[in-house]
Amino acid sequence: MTVWPDESVVPGHAGGFDTVDMTINIGPQHPATHGVFRMALTVDGEVVMDCEPYIGYLHRGLEKLSEANDYRQAMGFWDRTDYLAGMCCEGAYCMAVEKLAGIDVPERAEYIRVMMMELSRINSHFMFLGAFGADVGSFGTSFIYAWRERERIYDFFEEVSGDRMFPTYFRPGGVAFDLPENYESRIRWLISSIRQGIDDFDGLLTGNEIFVERCRNLAPMTVERAVNLGLSGPVLRATGLDWDVRKAEPYSIYDRFKFAIPVGVQGDVFDRYHVRISEMFQSTLIVEQCLDQITEGLVLNPNLPKNLRIEKGECYVRTEGTKGEYSVYALAKGGNKPYRMKLRSPSFCNLSALREMVIGSYVADAIIILGSLDIVLGEVDK
Amino acid sequence: MSEKTATGHSFKQVPNSALTEKLKRALTGIEVEYRETSTDVDLLVSPANFGRVVRELNERKELSFDYLRNIAGVDYVKEGLAAVYHFYSFKQGHAVQVTVPTPLGAPHVPSITSTFAAADWHEREAAEMVGLVFDGHPNPKNLLLEEDLRIHPLLKAHPLQKVEILQGIEENDPGFKF
Amino acid sequence: MHEIFGIWNWLDAVIRILIIVLVMTVVVMYLTYGERKVVARLQQRLGPTRTGPAGLLQPLADAVKLVGKEDLRPANADRWVFELAPYATFIPVLMVLVTLPFAEHWGVRSLPLGMFFVFAALGLNIVGIMMAGLGSGNKYALLGGVRAAAQMISYEIPLVLSLLAVAMVVHGSIDGGPEINGSLDLQVITRLQSDYPLIILQPLAFIIFFTAMLSELHRAPFDIPVAESEIVGGYFVEYSGIRWSMFQLTEYASMWAFSVFGSIVFLGGWEWPFGHDVGWAYQLLLTTIKSLLFIMLIFWLRTTVPRLRIDQLMSFCWKVLLPMSILQLLMNGFIRVYDLPNVFLSLTSGAGAVGLVAFIVFRAFTRPKKTASLVGAYRQAGVNVR
Repeated sequence: MTVWPDESVVPGHAGGFDTVDMTINIGPQHPATHGVFRMALTVDGEVVMDCEPYIGYLHRGLEKLSEANDYRQAMGFWDRTDYLAGMCCEGAYCMAVEKLAGIDVPERAEYIRVMMMELSRINSHFMFLGAFGADVGSFGTSFIYAWRERERIYDFFEEVSGDRMFPTYFRPGGVAFDLPENYESRIRWLISSIRQGIDDFDGLLTGNEIFVERCRNLAPMTVERAVNLGLSGPVLRATGLDWDVRKAEPYSIYDRFKFAIPVGVQGDVFDRYHVRISEMFQSTLIVEQCLDQITEGLVLNPNLPKNLRIEKGECYVRTEGTKGEYSVYALAKGGNKPYRMKLRSPSFCNLSALREMVIGSYVADAIIILGSLDIVLGEVDK
Repeated sequence: MSEKTATGHSFKQVPNSALTEKLKRALTGIEVEYRETSTDVDLLVSPANFGRVVRELNERKELSFDYLRNIAGVDYVKEGLAAVYHFYSFKQGHAVQVTVPTPLGAPHVPSITSTFAAADWHEREAAEMVGLVFDGHPNPKNLLLEEDLRIHPLLKAHPLQKVEILQGIEENDPGFKF
Repeated sequence: MHEIFGIWNWLDAVIRILIIVLVMTVVVMYLTYGERKVVARLQQRLGPTRTGPAGLLQPLADAVKLVGKEDLRPANADRWVFELAPYATFIPVLMVLVTLPFAEHWGVRSLPLGMFFVFAALGLNIVGIMMAGLGSGNKYALLGGVRAAAQMISYEIPLVLSLLAVAMVVHGSIDGGPEINGSLDLQVITRLQSDYPLIILQPLAFIIFFTAMLSELHRAPFDIPVAESEIVGGYFVEYSGIRWSMFQLTEYASMWAFSVFGSIVFLGGWEWPFGHDVGWAYQLLLTTIKSLLFIMLIFWLRTTVPRLRIDQLMSFCWKVLLPMSILQLLMNGFIRVYDLPNVFLSLTSGAGAVGLVAFIVFRAFTRPKKTASLVGAYRQAGVNVR
């Protein structure tokens, strides 16, 4: 790197300095990358010229393992994909098996499933708020606010299913056991505490001048480009398209609930944050409606065979996971093991758009943009 | 599909027959087989016609499939590999599945990255997992596996347990050739 | 000559310096403890509780651990630059501490150019940070060092200008002696605040000083050189054990030095409100309380506020703080030349302070669609977020 401009060497550069772009490696071990993820940024000073994401550090062979295990055994792998919202993944998997085999789910089990899935969604969004606040700079405070509510939700999951993070609670045909007896008062208390937590975050971040300065107008995205890139979930809704799988292609009993879909305008980082925080509130409304409408009855289909064998079947079940469209493509060709189970994970698709969003912004902003996509490496790497 | 299921209930047919009519009208002249899965309409298209079919699906006003959801690589051992695509239309609100079976020994499928930017990573993953080759892909590198690995884990012939091969620990011939 | 260089004078200076160093060590250790407790309480958790009663022995435990760590040096680090950087950063802070008066006769030495010496010495800090950044052989450290140097150099200017504006307006007479009009001597500045502290005369200078001070200390919201979540530590990422603790020592010691300095210049130090006839114990107590106020404010800001990006930080300095401090200096000069009464000083400076705050608030409100109205808007979904 020469310091004094040499006329003959540098025709193109503006100031006459012969500079070299630096390659910075962010990750795989890094407090900001939300998991084992690596980005190689090519940087000119502080501006990012190119970004190459490297994934696969958490690849655990989900699909191969699902082919080697029973339909009921394979579920244990699937709730570890989106490990922040295990119940949503289990729901998608169980619905896929039920579609293949044509199993019905009793109504009480459907209500329980919806409540658990919405609570998982709230859990995952709190994690986003905590980590995103940390990326922007209010390091400790965001995490602690987020963890307070998450601990309460995890305690409730432990009461219901016996495990906090990976509760293999759903079964093809319903849920494993009924809710504990005091569930109604517990959930109502939990919801009021969650609403207080959302209020706290709103007060801490939304009106904060510095936060808005950092996030406003950062990586805006148009609807057409977002659709072409395959984005889904809050990232797509922030661009202005109000598409939510729960309303557009309703699954389970979501057509019985009244809830709104928050949208943004420009698709920038602030809009994504605001869409997620609004979604959390809507999820609390859904849980309340579930509590009002829940019926008595069985929680598991009583006519299930001991050994579930499916002769022939193919289906593509789409659900609204916490990060976007979490879908399962399942193929059955006889026997008690699936032939092929493919996971279409929202974080994988959202992450493929990272390069386009990051080029041209500062290094500090690249971290914030990555945080706003809200990826979870378990689903990206399957 | 069988009429009666494992639990004795009858199948509820989800797919849309109106969509099949629209597809038949739009895709006249191209050799396409129409099937149904439990959730979608499925088109069986050969690799040679695939590019035309995707263009029609994307550009026709009454179809307007603008969202590529998923590309899955499937290993049908005797019949070769297949690529399964799922499309969705935001304007019309319908979804379709396209299966592209490839003959044994010639797993080539045209790449659709020029039409759908979302196809980039999905095609890379399908290529490394089952060994499909997408012609015209701008960056055909490994995505989830390491850069220099040339194995295809999701092939049925690839064993699940023999991890030691990759690490060079097992000395005896494992009985499996890449 | 004989008095200045006599043996008793040297001994007296050495003993005072030793006392200062001991006090500084203890203060810094317990500032780290205090920060952990205060920040924890603001985050709804407890902080250190187990080591000793209420966690009071935590700093000792940390010190023991740090001393026992292996002294690593990266292979491609420039050896002498890497090893000397922590000391180069620390020594200017010690030099500053030597000139600060903690009570009437309780500084080490009182210089007639005290304030000037303080800024000059603090500028030397930057050299140490650049040495750490460049000598580590690590790209993250380089990024951190460069950001730190740019930030510190820029914020020195409003800091110095606002303090000079204050030095200009200090006036009065000590014990019926000659009339003093403007002084850089810290003892004199404190003595002349017996009626009212200088913050009443110069609130704008106080705001500028406080902001620039946060930036010199690399504290939130200006802590981008040590941004933990981006470049994991910035310029001290390659240091471990004792060398790293030297950087932390520097940070807390300069925080303490700046707080004492700020309380001396703006809040009246040990003189206000009781005057200098009370004993040294009360004076020390007053200085301690005032500097603790500053420190608590710094901790509180660190917990609450996210961090600014480097270009926003620089534009804030050059486009907002610098013009305001130059205007302040000009106004003070104008008032002094035309011998206007002191009340004009507080009026103009107060108007400036109010104007600065109003400008920031105004900018927040004139975004396309007010952001203040978005607080609480999450309850109505489907709302177009603009």
